[in-house]
Amino acid sequence: MWEVMFWPIVACVLLPWLLVYLGLHVVQRGIIFIDIAMAQMASLGICLAVLLHIDLESWTTFGIALGFTLVGAAVFSVTGKRASQIPQEAVIGIAYVVAAAAAVLLLSRAAEGDEEIKNMLVGNILLVTPREVWERFALFAAVGIFHFVFRRNFLLVSFDRDAAYRKGLQVRWWDFFFYAVFGLVVTSFVRIAGVLLVFSYLIVPAVCGINLAQRTANRLLIGWCIALLGGIAGLFLSYWWDLPSGAAIVCTFGALLILISLFALWQHRRARRLP
Amino acid sequence: MKKTLFILFAIVTCALSAHGKLNVVATLPDFGSLAREIGGDKVNVSVLAKPTEDPHFVDARPSFVVSMRNADVLIDGGAELELGWLPPLLQNARNPKIEIGKPGRIQASQGIRLMNVPVNVTRAAGDVHALGNPHFTVDPIIAKAIAQHIAQSFSALDPPNAAFYEANYKKFEATINGKLQEWGAALLPFRGQHVAAYHDSWPYFAHRFGLDIDLFLEPKPGIPPSPSHLAEVIAQMKAQHIKAIIVEPFHDRRIAEKVASATGAKVVEFSQFPGGLPGTDSYVKLIDTLISRLAAALK
Repeated sequence: MWEVMFWPIVACVLLPWLLVYLGLHVVQRGIIFIDIAMAQMASLGICLAVLLHIDLESWTTFGIALGFTLVGAAVFSVTGKRASQIPQEAVIGIAYVVAAAAAVLLLSRAAEGDEEIKNMLVGNILLVTPREVWERFALFAAVGIFHFVFRRNFLLVSFDRDAAYRKGLQVRWWDFFFYAVFGLVVTSFVRIAGVLLVFSYLIVPAVCGINLAQRTANRLLIGWCIALLGGIAGLFLSYWWDLPSGAAIVCTFGALLILISLFALWQHRRARRLP
Repeated sequence: MKKTLFILFAIVTCALSAHGKLNVVATLPDFGSLAREIGGDKVNVSVLAKPTEDPHFVDARPSFVVSMRNADVLIDGGAELELGWLPPLLQNARNPKIEIGKPGRIQASQGIRLMNVPVNVTRAAGDVHALGNPHFTVDPIIAKAIAQHIAQSFSALDPPNAAFYEANYKKFEATINGKLQEWGAALLPFRGQHVAAYHDSWPYFAHRFGLDIDLFLEPKPGIPPSPSHLAEVIAQMKAQHIKAIIVEPFHDRRIAEKVASATGAKVVEFSQFPGGLPGTDSYVKLIDTLISRLAAALK
């Protein structure tokens, strides 16, 4: 058991904290599908590298993928206007489908080994290697420090945009930094854990936190607990019943969210009955 | 030297007698089925991929790693068919007994001349396997060779049962030799006919039974069919009077149905793996089913 599940458990303990924090921003901004759009932009970059016959494991390929992520970040920060008729989620959806379709077109010309590309883009948490975990931990720590240092600006831009404008912040630039760093984190996590798992780590703990608490710090704490609990419980279930690990974690998160919503509902009713 | 060998031998036999049965892991169901033919009740065989799963893409589960850790023998194709999913599993299992070159690692393609080896490995030609086409087990003569390879490896790892494995191989060989006549006769009337397929999985089968399975719905291996390619396929099928399109359980059957309705051909469900079609729990039954389905469609 431990031999097989040790590194997946380490990954589920060391990595998701940053995703939970970013998830609070993402839910607050109402841009739920940004992670999938960003991951798709990065994979479009990798498809281009394939078309140009660049080695998939090389730094050039990484650079191209990063470049595409930055383009995505630029697009989303420019389109996220202060008051617009078009919701940001529409732009994100369009970016996703166009990037996905463009990847299909590129691959139909490039015709590279499909397996390798899928393998490159979508990882399996069960098979994560120690090196992958430490590399991502280092990256996430750096991003965490960056976010911590500039936390006032980032929080203001996400949680109170009007106040950010009033204060004269360069909201677009802060948006761009947010999206760029976010794209980097999401893309690197998708490679070891897959798209479903990234999405759940971003959204479910954040939603649970928002359900149960008002202050951001408390929401974050609750989110971290949920992420730890869901990840480790999901891995155990996947081992006992021999299920695909990523999907098992995602469904555990779903079950946790239902439990917590019921609890929040019950608490809410009780609060109303006792004035 | 002799002494060390003897001690090693003693350790190996002790380990085996302690375990009892050989733990055999097969990446794909065809290898698993051959391992069962040879090993009978003297080995535990576990198979990773399901017979209805695309062998290029298999989702790893925790039991895969566990069984690979406990394996005495790993049977894989050795021709890059499992390239997308086996290497990370091996890396995770860290089992020295099944490393390449060890007696516990059986690479089925070893000693087999693979077909369609690309001259130029730029991969511009699609999802091409650099070592040649890896879908070789559907040729019964190659299956015999793999079974013999498996019998020899089992005998080397488990000498007390060597005679048992050898006898099972002889039995399998005799069955295949007898069946080959029957199979050949069933397809003889269609010798030289062209047949279409969704994916290029059938060159060995075609070669053995005198067919030409050389027109594919996929423009390149692993690339989904495009409209212009399908139009070309339909035109060629009409010109060559092709009567059958082979699809596998994990292919998009609707595309094949569309081409079939445009050309009057029949869609024939095939599988490379025992268990992939109803009533095919052994290798021989699988080939029986493939032959009778194809003969019925070509009639």
